[in-house]
Amino acid sequence: MRRIVITGMGAICALGHDAPSVWKAMTEGRSGIGPIHHIQPGQLRNGGIAAEITDYDPASFFDEARRALLDPFSEYALIAANEAIRQSGISFAGEAAARTAVVIGTGAGGENTRDEMYQRLYGEHQGRFHPLGIVRMMTNAPASQVSIVHGITGPAFVVASACASSNHAFAQAAMMIRSGMVDAAVVGGTEACITLGTLRAWEAMRVLAPDTCRPFSAGRRGLVLGEGAGMYVLETLESAQARGANILCELAGTGMSSDAGDIAAPSDIGAAAAMNMALRDAGMSPDEVDYINAHGTGTVANDSTETRAIHRVFGAHARELVVTSTKPMHGHALGAGGALELVAAIGAIRDGIVPPTLNYLGPDPACDLDYVPNVAREINVHAAISNSFAFGGLNAVVAIRRGP
Amino acid sequence: MSTVQQETFDIIAKQAKIELDTIKPESTLKDLGIASLDAIEVIFDIEEHFNINLPNEDTDLENGTVGQLVEAIERQLAQKTSE
Repeated sequence: MRRIVITGMGAICALGHDAPSVWKAMTEGRSGIGPIHHIQPGQLRNGGIAAEITDYDPASFFDEARRALLDPFSEYALIAANEAIRQSGISFAGEAAARTAVVIGTGAGGENTRDEMYQRLYGEHQGRFHPLGIVRMMTNAPASQVSIVHGITGPAFVVASACASSNHAFAQAAMMIRSGMVDAAVVGGTEACITLGTLRAWEAMRVLAPDTCRPFSAGRRGLVLGEGAGMYVLETLESAQARGANILCELAGTGMSSDAGDIAAPSDIGAAAAMNMALRDAGMSPDEVDYINAHGTGTVANDSTETRAIHRVFGAHARELVVTSTKPMHGHALGAGGALELVAAIGAIRDGIVPPTLNYLGPDPACDLDYVPNVAREINVHAAISNSFAFGGLNAVVAIRRGP
Repeated sequence: MSTVQQETFDIIAKQAKIELDTIKPESTLKDLGIASLDAIEVIFDIEEHFNINLPNEDTDLENGTVGQLVEAIERQLAQKTSE
C-alpha cells in the first residue's frame, strides 16, 4: 500500500495568519476568543463572543481581480493552501497537474456573501444583486479557487459534513492517493461563519457559551464559534523522498462512521467506531497513541460522550495518553475544525509540546482523563489522532505518526 | 392552575405527544421524555407563544422542573409588562 506523508502545512485563524504563528500561539496557550467586532452589540442574545481572525486585510494577500471573486471562506482556503504549497515545494507542472487532487471541507459555505445578499434583498429591499454573488458563495468555490490559482487539473471538490468536514476531506484525499488515482493532494478545511444570521441560528440551538469555551471542565457552558482554514499537501512517501522534501509527518490512517441515531446528540459508540477504524487503517495499536486532539467542543454532552468513547477504544491506555482540545484558542471553526486542529497534532509530534486545554476550572466526574489543563506540556509524541464529530452523527478521525 | 401554567403545559403536552394530566410542576422535561433538540423546541414554542426570550440560565434542560420553567416565564412576562 502507498504510504502518505504531509509535506506542507498552512493555516489562518484567530491565532494568526500562518501556520507557524498559529502553532506558536497554541504552545503559549493563547486564546483568540473575544467580543465579535463586526456585529453590533445588542444584536445577539448570548455573549456575543467568537474566535475571529483579526488584523486581516485581504488586499495584502490578493490582487483586486482575484478578490472580487472571493468570499472570506475562499480567501482563507487560498491563504492556507498557498502557504502549504510554498512550504512543500511541490510542483504541479506537466503531468503532475492532473495527478493532484484538491479536497476541501466546509460546513456553511459562503455565508458572508449570502448574508450580505439577503440583507440587501429582505432588509434594504434592493433589487440589484452583485453578479459575482453565486461564484463567491457556491460551496465548491474554495476547491475551484485553489485549483485555478495553482493550475491543479485533477479531481477537485468540497466535502460537507458540518464539524467533521475537514477530516472527511483528509479521508477522501488519502483514499485517492492510495488507490493510485492521484499522487498528491491539496487538502484541508475552511470556514467563515461569523455572521449575524449564522450566530443567531446557533444561539437558537442553545449550545453557545456565554462566557468562554472550557472543554472537559467543570462549569463548561457550550461552544464558541471560530473561523479560518487549515490546508496541507499530501503526497506519497516515494515522491516526497525522491524530491528530498521535508516530511512533517505520515498521514497513517483515517476512520469514518455514522451514528444513525439522533440528529444532534452525540454517541460514544459512533465516535469510538471512527477512532477504531482510523487506528486499524493506520496499522496503529491503541497503545501507540500518545496524544488525542479531541473534538472537545465545550458542550456538556460532547465532552462527556467523547471521554466515554476514548475509554472504549483505549482501555487502560486512556489513562496513559493525553487528550486536549484546542478549541478554546481557535474556537469551533466547524468545517475547518479538523484542519486547524491537525496543526496541533503535527506540532506535538514535531516539537514534543502538547498544547493545553485552556479555561479549565476543575474536574467533571464525567470527564476523567488527562486534558493537560491550561498549560502546555513537553511530551514525546510519536503518534496522535485527531477527532471530529459532527451534528448529524457524522464522525471522522485522522491518525498521524512521526515521518520515516 | 394559573393561565401561564395551563398554556405552558398545553405546549409541552403537544410537543411531547403526552396526556396533559401526566405533567406535574415537579416533573423535569427529561422525566416527560423530552430531551435534546425536542427540549430546545419546547422552549422555542414557549418563547413564540408568549413572545418572550428565555435566557439559557432559566432553562436548565437537565434538572430544571416544569414548575421552575413556568416561574421563569412569569418573570419574563412581568418584566415585559413593566417595560
